[in-house]
Amino acid sequence: MAHARISMYMPPDIDPTKAAIAYGCRALPKLNEELRSETLLTRQKALVALCDLMHDPEYVYEAINIGCLESLKALLMDDDNLVRIKTTEVLYIMATHNIGRTGFLQHGVIIALSFLLNDFQTVCRENLHQAYKHLAQLPEGARGIVNSGLIPSLVQKLQVEEEHIQEIILDTLAPCLQEDATEALKSQAVPCFKEKLLSGNPQIRSKAARALIAISIPLEGKNQVWENEVIPILVDLLSDPEDEVQANAAGALMHATVTTEGCNAKGRSWRFQGVSESYKLLPNLSSFS
Amino acid sequence: MASAMTDRNPRAAEASGTYTYTSRPRAVPCQRRRYRDSLLQPADEPLNYGNIMYDRRVIRGNTYALPTGQVPGQPDPLELQRQQQARRRALARKRAQEQLRPRTPEPVEGRKHVDVQTELYLEEIADRIVEVDMECQTDAFLDRPPTPLFIPAKTGKDVATQILEGELFDFDLEVKPMLQVLVGKTIEQALLEVMEEEELANLRANQYAYEEIRNVELAEVQRLEEQERRHREEKERRKRQQWEIIHKHNETSQKISARAFAQRYLADLLPSVFDSLRNSGYFYDPIERDIEIGFLPWLMNQVEKTMEHSVVGRTVLDMLIREVVERRLNNYEKKEDTQPSMRSDDVYSGPDTMTDPSGYKFFQGQPSP
Repeated sequence: MAHARISMYMPPDIDPTKAAIAYGCRALPKLNEELRSETLLTRQKALVALCDLMHDPEYVYEAINIGCLESLKALLMDDDNLVRIKTTEVLYIMATHNIGRTGFLQHGVIIALSFLLNDFQTVCRENLHQAYKHLAQLPEGARGIVNSGLIPSLVQKLQVEEEHIQEIILDTLAPCLQEDATEALKSQAVPCFKEKLLSGNPQIRSKAARALIAISIPLEGKNQVWENEVIPILVDLLSDPEDEVQANAAGALMHATVTTEGCNAKGRSWRFQGVSESYKLLPNLSSFS
Repeated sequence: MASAMTDRNPRAAEASGTYTYTSRPRAVPCQRRRYRDSLLQPADEPLNYGNIMYDRRVIRGNTYALPTGQVPGQPDPLELQRQQQARRRALARKRAQEQLRPRTPEPVEGRKHVDVQTELYLEEIADRIVEVDMECQTDAFLDRPPTPLFIPAKTGKDVATQILEGELFDFDLEVKPMLQVLVGKTIEQALLEVMEEEELANLRANQYAYEEIRNVELAEVQRLEEQERRHREEKERRKRQQWEIIHKHNETSQKISARAFAQRYLADLLPSVFDSLRNSGYFYDPIERDIEIGFLPWLMNQVEKTMEHSVVGRTVLDMLIREVVERRLNNYEKKEDTQPSMRSDDVYSGPDTMTDPSGYKFFQGQPSP
């Protein structure tokens, strides 16, 4: 047999930025200890290694059992940018698994993450919002986000953040608003969404329309939608070139007009126009229903 | 050589019928080429017979001297002579030295020197020289072998590598299974990831579809709720209206009947009022009234007074009688106690005392003291 060591150099896929992962069941406890170490480099390398491991749901389960979430919560407050970015990335990857989501809810990670809403690093904020978005897919997660009072700050952030983060925030808000829309209505979400309906990005338009669907389910939402004169914009969006935007706008209109006030003369004209526009849409709808 | 051949032949022929060669004697040609130029060339050339005296193969002169002869490649006879002279000189030197060398003294009279072995192990000394039979036979005339390839002399450094057991392998052969595994695993992993992503996309599409259905149903539910609410309110309103109507109706009929009854009831109000007033004596005859109020009470009072007087008188009388009777009784008792003598008639109980026939209860009821 040839020698095992063929060349003087190490194999090319050993990454110097990753900590060495121990074998078998020692992998995660060792990484957990390294996360608490004093040395910055150790922490960073451990975080990079953890990012790789968290794609496997069994490791996520084990990590939550041994209390990695506590160390990660502590690392969220770290001074170093890379540490924070990688921590949010690990949390985001964990949130894509159901076990991770339930773990978040049990260990109160939502509040810990909310301290980073005003972070300077864009990547950090983006990971944070991605984590929230995946958490909101779960009904308990959406309730958790609503109960921790994050909706007003999220609506606020919607106005100041960048576009791709705005999309993520809108995706987060839609399921949360389906759970409970009162907080959002109190924090002037409807004018905010109305603004987003006029944005140039079709993704943002469609997601804003979806959020409007959710917010106009309760009666208060419908009233606010009428008051803020969102209906004309929605009717315009029915003739938007994007399919998603049309569909969501039609949904929002449907919810907003299911109210007794729709029979009032105040809204009647818009309702009729909306109905006529949706009749125009019928051939399109039947093509992809 | 032919004789040698024939000598050998009987020996060889004994073993097996092998090759034999015979030829009649003939003159040896000279200047014959040692090798044939080509294998195919026949040997029948005009053979030049030469003088045997000038043939190099023939040894001239005395054979007992055995001159070494001039083999090509050897040094020329000058050198040879020099060497011979050197040899002779060496021999002479050696003989001279031998004479100078001290020898062992001659043996004593009657004795003889004998060589004795003094080594540890005795050795048999024999005069016999070890003889070994050696034979040599040159090959039959060979064809001229082909010219060997000209390989120039080696220049440069020699470098050697020791190849251990198992180090030599064919890379292409050995690498195939490894490559298969690597590529296969990578592709498998990639396929898995793609399938995962597809599955996720499918799930998400299902989620969206479900959300749409949920929204539609929610809107439908709300619409139905609204409808229900409206219907219910309408019903409530109508019911209330009906209730009010009926209520009013009842009230009105009650009012009417009450009114009718009241009218009838109050129809003979006046006569009954007057009747009752009259009955309760509000219309009175003044004289009658006066008599009733003034005269008759007075009269009754007087009558009462008179009767009281008589009653009082009777009562007093009763008391008097009682007292007398008691006294009498006491006196009699006393008398009986002391002497049951004759009793005197009580003055007080005369025949003209009359007992009241009315039988006053108080008289009877009075207990005797």
